[in-house]
Amino acid sequence: MLAVCLTLMARLVRVVNFSQAATGMFGGFVAVWLVSNAGMPVWLATVIGILIGGALSAIIGWIIATWLAEADTSTRSAVTVGPLLLLISLSFILFGNKPQPFRPILAGPAFSVGGVVVSQVTVVTVVLAIVVAVGCRIILAKTSAGTQLRALSERPTTAELLGIPAKLLSVGVWTVTGMISALVVSIVAPSQSNDATSLAMLIVPAAAAALLGGFRRLDLAVVGGLALGILQGLVAQIDQISFVRNFVPFLFIVGFLLWLQRKEVWDASR
Amino acid sequence: MLRARNTALRAAGVPLIVAIVAVAVGYGLSVVLSDYLVFLGTTAIVAAIAILGLGVVTGSAGMISLCQLTFAAIGAWVVAWLNTIDAPGGFILWLVLGALAAGVVGILVGLPALRLRGVNLAVVTLGFAAAADVTLVQIQFPGATAGVSVLRPDLFSDDRSYFLLAVLAMAICAVIIHFVQHSRLGSSWKSVAFSERGTASVGASVSSSKLTAFAISAALGGVSGGLVVGQVGLAFPSSFSPIQSLALYVLSIMSGAHLVDMAIFGGILWVVVPELLKRWGVPQDWAFVIFGALGVQALTSGSNLGTGIRNVWWKRQLQRAGRTVNTLGEGVEAAGAAAPQPPAPVSTGAPVLVVEDLSVAFGNIKALKNVSLTVPEHSIMGLIGPNGAGKSTLVDAISGFLPQHTGAISLGGKPLHGLSPTRRARLGLRRTFQQDRVPPGLTIGAYMRFVARRRTTPSEVEDLLQFMGCPPSSSRLAAVDVGTRRLVEVAANILSKPRVLLLDEPAAGLSHEEHVDLGRRLLQVPERYGVSVLLIEHDLDMVRSVCSTLTVLDFGEVLDQGPQDEVLANPAVIKAYMGETEML
Repeated sequence: MLAVCLTLMARLVRVVNFSQAATGMFGGFVAVWLVSNAGMPVWLATVIGILIGGALSAIIGWIIATWLAEADTSTRSAVTVGPLLLLISLSFILFGNKPQPFRPILAGPAFSVGGVVVSQVTVVTVVLAIVVAVGCRIILAKTSAGTQLRALSERPTTAELLGIPAKLLSVGVWTVTGMISALVVSIVAPSQSNDATSLAMLIVPAAAAALLGGFRRLDLAVVGGLALGILQGLVAQIDQISFVRNFVPFLFIVGFLLWLQRKEVWDASR
Repeated sequence: MLRARNTALRAAGVPLIVAIVAVAVGYGLSVVLSDYLVFLGTTAIVAAIAILGLGVVTGSAGMISLCQLTFAAIGAWVVAWLNTIDAPGGFILWLVLGALAAGVVGILVGLPALRLRGVNLAVVTLGFAAAADVTLVQIQFPGATAGVSVLRPDLFSDDRSYFLLAVLAMAICAVIIHFVQHSRLGSSWKSVAFSERGTASVGASVSSSKLTAFAISAALGGVSGGLVVGQVGLAFPSSFSPIQSLALYVLSIMSGAHLVDMAIFGGILWVVVPELLKRWGVPQDWAFVIFGALGVQALTSGSNLGTGIRNVWWKRQLQRAGRTVNTLGEGVEAAGAAAPQPPAPVSTGAPVLVVEDLSVAFGNIKALKNVSLTVPEHSIMGLIGPNGAGKSTLVDAISGFLPQHTGAISLGGKPLHGLSPTRRARLGLRRTFQQDRVPPGLTIGAYMRFVARRRTTPSEVEDLLQFMGCPPSSSRLAAVDVGTRRLVEVAANILSKPRVLLLDEPAAGLSHEEHVDLGRRLLQVPERYGVSVLLIEHDLDMVRSVCSTLTVLDFGEVLDQGPQDEVLANPAVIKAYMGETEML
């Protein structure tokens, strides 16, 4: 799911956003805080959390669109390491470094296949991932905003000269992806070890999955996410190599990328 | 000559003296400061060593590495393990072994960097850091659960003397890094960060540049990790979390850690900021918030403290030195204004570069079709043709960047089939690029030495620079314009005394007068330096005045070949150039 967001960002605003999960995490934490301290109902708090995730993401996007409009992907991405660090420590300060009592929004098994219980969370995230991926495809291919976005991602300066509101559009993308990731974290968090660091570090498997699509193909990003989850589940079954499990996303990324880029011997095409 | 030797002595002596003074100051501090401050000082130095390592891989070689503290953890793990099994040799030896182990892992992590760049590499290193962190939490450091603390060496057993040990380690690392940064290896890191093709074309191996950068960086991480265990006795994974690696990365970017002094400054910041916050009653977590914000600032503005300060200083220096530069410019003019000479007679020397039946296809497009040419020894052959005729493709193929070509190329009778660009460059086949492939982070002198790949004397370098009309060797490449940079590229490749030099439009970006000057100088190159030249050029004036023989390419095929006047009189050649008015 986060992989879809990452791919979207990479394609549309030329950034691999390292703080993607962190913005979601922060939004999620705000929601939890609102529930437990202000006594808000869960749904309202979640909505506010999602809005905050979107707003945070928009701020980062605005910074990058303002000062790094012409920089290459690496530089733009490196900048997002800053907010990642900032958000994690900010949430330590505001919410402490204990795992947060996320109240599950979705709970319980959905169905079971051959003795393996598939929880609602899994079903919803998978469905959501597919919906977002398909939705984005349609928007990008069919609507005029989609065309403008693609123009923007390929040739920012040319697009701007054509009168496309570059900044507005890219900040928009940042906002939407921020909101989506906050939603995802709110759903997934109860089933994960949910302290700030682990949640923000969801970015690692997400990036692994997104890499399958080379940060460009949304469908492959979804497949990558699923494959990675299954792979990790399988490896976890075998007790002897359980500590190898941690390296699965890492090896997955490396192996796949090396195969993909085996011909990229040089940094420039000419 | 005497001055040159003095500068050389100073270049070697000053860092050593600075290091000795630093150790003396460290000793003084270890006596004067309070216990608490000494402990903090040790932490700062440990961080500085780690940042120094990041300066190598990220600052110089331009690769994003987000797992510096994982390397530190490996160093720490090895030291702790050797301690629990009571290995012989004592702490210092363990520290070195830890650094070696981290260096080996650094090479393994660096291997993907041979194909992955930029963000992809950043994701890989972050993934490695995250995975290693979880694993460390599971397996823990040896002796940590049993409470076996690491033994310090007898000489440095208390906190004060241990601080001195850390200062010593820092000084040794800093001096080594300083000299490596100024050596050819250091130049190759900066070169690989700017252009891999440029690096390979001067005979430096891209792979080994990247891997050595990773290895040295990881080894420094290992040293810092080992020192941490010695400092605190028991190591815990929380000291080496990926978040802290990220913070170190941001800090190294912010301070400009490829400069030794700035790495130390970064280490001090690492400790001072949280400490100040603590004194002011602010939670220490705000430190990372500050680092994060400053990092965003540094990355968005693309600047860092170290280069910022140095730029101001250089500007001052330039203003002060403004007059001397001018006089030198006149000297260059005088050297260039030698009497015009006729083009060299058609050489009858033995063939040194032989290309037979060379074809290159990109998919369905045949860029080159059965091209054959022979460059005789000590001659200048011109390669001309309209845009898109395949001139640069030919140079790419000859220099080894297009291994899929068919046909045969030999240099001095030795077939070059299957050799990498690096190997070809080492055999004496050098080329320059149409694009700017000269790393701006170097001084002209350092670049010349890096490209030459042989022992040179300072006067030899200065003479050649003056002959080619380039600025003196102490100038920084970042401060000269692109046209001049490409002249320096030509000069540096001549300095390497290759058998054959392929020049891809060396005069692009120069004014017409400079064109003519360059032509005059090139004319003397075969005689003076024993180099044969294959020159791609659009300016027919220059071609007429320089090249004895010509090869004309059109649509990837040889249109005509032979002595200059005959070729230029060929109606087919004139026709191929129709429309390119500057030629007629």
